[in-house]
This record gives sequence, C-alpha cells and structure tokens, in this order.
Amino acid sequence: MSTVNCPECEAPIEFAEGTEAGEIIVCPDCGVDLEVTSIEPAAVQLAPMEQEDWGE
Amino acid sequence: MSETLIGLVSQYSPSGQEHGAVEWLVARMKSLGYDNAFIDEAGNAVGVMGQGAKQVVLLGHIDTVPGEIKVEQVSDLFYGRGSVDAKGPLASFVDAVAKVGVKDGWQFVVIGAVEEERNSEGARFVATQYKPDFAIIGEPNQWDRVALGYKGSAWANVTVKRGQAHTASGEETAAEAAVEVWLKIKAYVDSFNADKPKVFDKLLLTLRGMDSDSNDFEQWAKLKVGVRLPVEVSPEDWYVKLKEIVNGEIVEPTGFAISAWKCEKNSQLVRAFLSGIRSQGGEPRFVYKTGTADLNIVAPVWQCPAVVYGPGDSALDHTPNEHINLDDYRKAVEVLSAALEKLSG
Repeated sequence: MSTVNCPECEAPIEFAEGTEAGEIIVCPDCGVDLEVTSIEPAAVQLAPMEQEDWGE
Repeated sequence: MSETLIGLVSQYSPSGQEHGAVEWLVARMKSLGYDNAFIDEAGNAVGVMGQGAKQVVLLGHIDTVPGEIKVEQVSDLFYGRGSVDAKGPLASFVDAVAKVGVKDGWQFVVIGAVEEERNSEGARFVATQYKPDFAIIGEPNQWDRVALGYKGSAWANVTVKRGQAHTASGEETAAEAAVEVWLKIKAYVDSFNADKPKVFDKLLLTLRGMDSDSNDFEQWAKLKVGVRLPVEVSPEDWYVKLKEIVNGEIVEPTGFAISAWKCEKNSQLVRAFLSGIRSQGGEPRFVYKTGTADLNIVAPVWQCPAVVYGPGDSALDHTPNEHINLDDYRKAVEVLSAALEKLSG
C-alpha cells in the first residue's frame, strides 16, 4: 500500500486500493483536497485551486 | 496557425445566421478525415470520428453575439467575433479530435450547436439525440482551467396593482408598493446569502427594469426581476419563494429558466484533463462560473461525467476587442488531445 505525507499538515496518508493518478482525495487529518499526481512512486499535491469567475 | 480557427471565425455567424459557418465546418471536418460530417435537423454542424460503443460528445457553439469584428492576426493574437466565445473552443475540439483520430472502441462526436446565445435551440435538440459516456462543453475558460459549474437563471415580471386614488389621499401608490416589494425580495436574498462565502452558492439578484402606468381606475407598476441560481435552488423553487415573498402580487415567469449544474470533480474525465494540462507545463485550476452555458441544458439529461473547457479569456466575451492568444489555442488543442488519448487509452 502506497503512503505519502500531506503537503499541508504532513499527516501520513495511505492510498486506498484502486486509487488512480489524477484522483482528488481528502487528507483525513486536515481535510484539504489533494490531487494524486503519481501512484508509483506515491505522490500528492494540493488539488487544483478553485476559482470563481463571471461569464458564460 | 490553425486553419480551422481562421476559417470558422471568418464565417460571421450571429445567432440565426449560422448556416454558412455550419456548412463550412462540416466541409472542414470532412477534409480533416472525420468518418462522417453532416448538418443535423436543428441546423447544428456534427462531425463523427470512430464507430466504437463508448462515446464522447464535444459540444461547442457556432453562433456568436452580433457585431462583426475585423478578422486579423496581430503578433500572436487573433481577432474576430467568436474567436473567444466560442469558436476558439469549438475549433480546438475539431483540431484535437482530428489529431487523435480513430480509437478502438470509441466514438468522438464534435458538435457546433446553433442558437446558444439566444435560447440554446441547438443544444436542446442535441440533448435528446445522444447519451454519451463523457461530455466536454466548449466555452472559454483559459487553456489551463477546467470549469466545473455554471449557475442557473430565472426571470420574472412582478406586477403590483392598486386602485386609483387622489394624490392628496396619502394612500400608497402602485409604484411605491413595487419599491417595497423589491426591498422585500432583496432582503430575502441578502439573508439567504449571508452564510455563503462562495458566489457560486449565492442567489445573484438583478432588477432589470421598472415601469409604471395607470388608467382611469387602476394604477400598476412592473418589476423585471432576474436571478442567477445556485445548485440548491431550482427555478421552480425560486418562483415558489418569489410568490411567497411578494405575498399576493402577480409573478409571471419569463423566458427560459435554467437550473444550475455542478460537475463531479472526481471523474475519469477530470483526471484526464488535469494530466493533459500538466503535460503542457500548466498548473491546473478549477473554476465555477456565474453565467450559464449549454452544460446546463445537456448535463441534467445526459447525467454523465462532464467538464467545460476551452481556450480564451471569457472577460473578452461579447466585447469589440474579442481576440484569442494563439499560443493558448495551440496548448488547448494539445490538452484536449492528451485528455482524449488518456480517456480512450
């Protein structure tokens, strides 16, 4: 099972079975959204920033 | 520079006058090697690549707002009506699918829909004709952003009537009562929004017009009230609440009311886009929009993973300065190609 540390709070996070690259997961400790950028080796980074914008 | 982008933008096509652009795009898709390209019953341009069972619909719109702009390239900027909203995104769909070509087990359908800038007649027809596994809607959101939500909208006329009275009587006039009604609506909306930090979750209220008149026996005042809706409030919910707030005054819904839509961000489709944006050196971002798009029409019917994507700065939508950065366009084609490759790989 792949394990990484949350880049926000450094809590250890274990990837659930079947986790895919690009998946958005939530840090169980601090609740921040993380993007799984690689499975092997295991890597995450803060999920894409959420912005708001006017327009069509 | 993309011949698809130049050719499509050169075909001036405000809503209701799309036929020339549609014919041009169908011919262009045939020349790019699409298996089939045709004009559907609603007048949309449709191009089909592949015959597989899994289907991706890439839905852009081919109409623009009126106001022709000289088509020209200045350095790396390409000017013309629709270059951003939304022929840039549509052309990038056409070029990306041509680049990816046929993939075993998959079918890519590119659609240039008509009438998006009016009542979305093209998308309403398309919604009934397909049941895709994935949907990509074309609107300008910058090449490194994926739009995941568009607000809904609902319009209504609120009419206040009162009997005629002498101006010295001190009785409330219809116009005065209408102002009070407006303040009540606004107070409700302010209260609804109070605990919601995100604009996407708020009601966005606008008073679009106010009019009043009288005859010998009656006076009236009419408010044109518009609202941009969050996901949690459907147009039907809003009209019920509006009637409750105005307490007996007349509420008449006008135009086409549209529900808001929020896409699932943990989908294979979103993952393919994140990977595609990173492959071009970008740092992907998500965006939620306060406007509406054809996403709001098709997504509730299709109920499949969807995103809105396309190059261009939506701040230039509908402006006389509408232009697209050609480097952004090229990157968007690469992002789309990479996303389709990953999805169908």
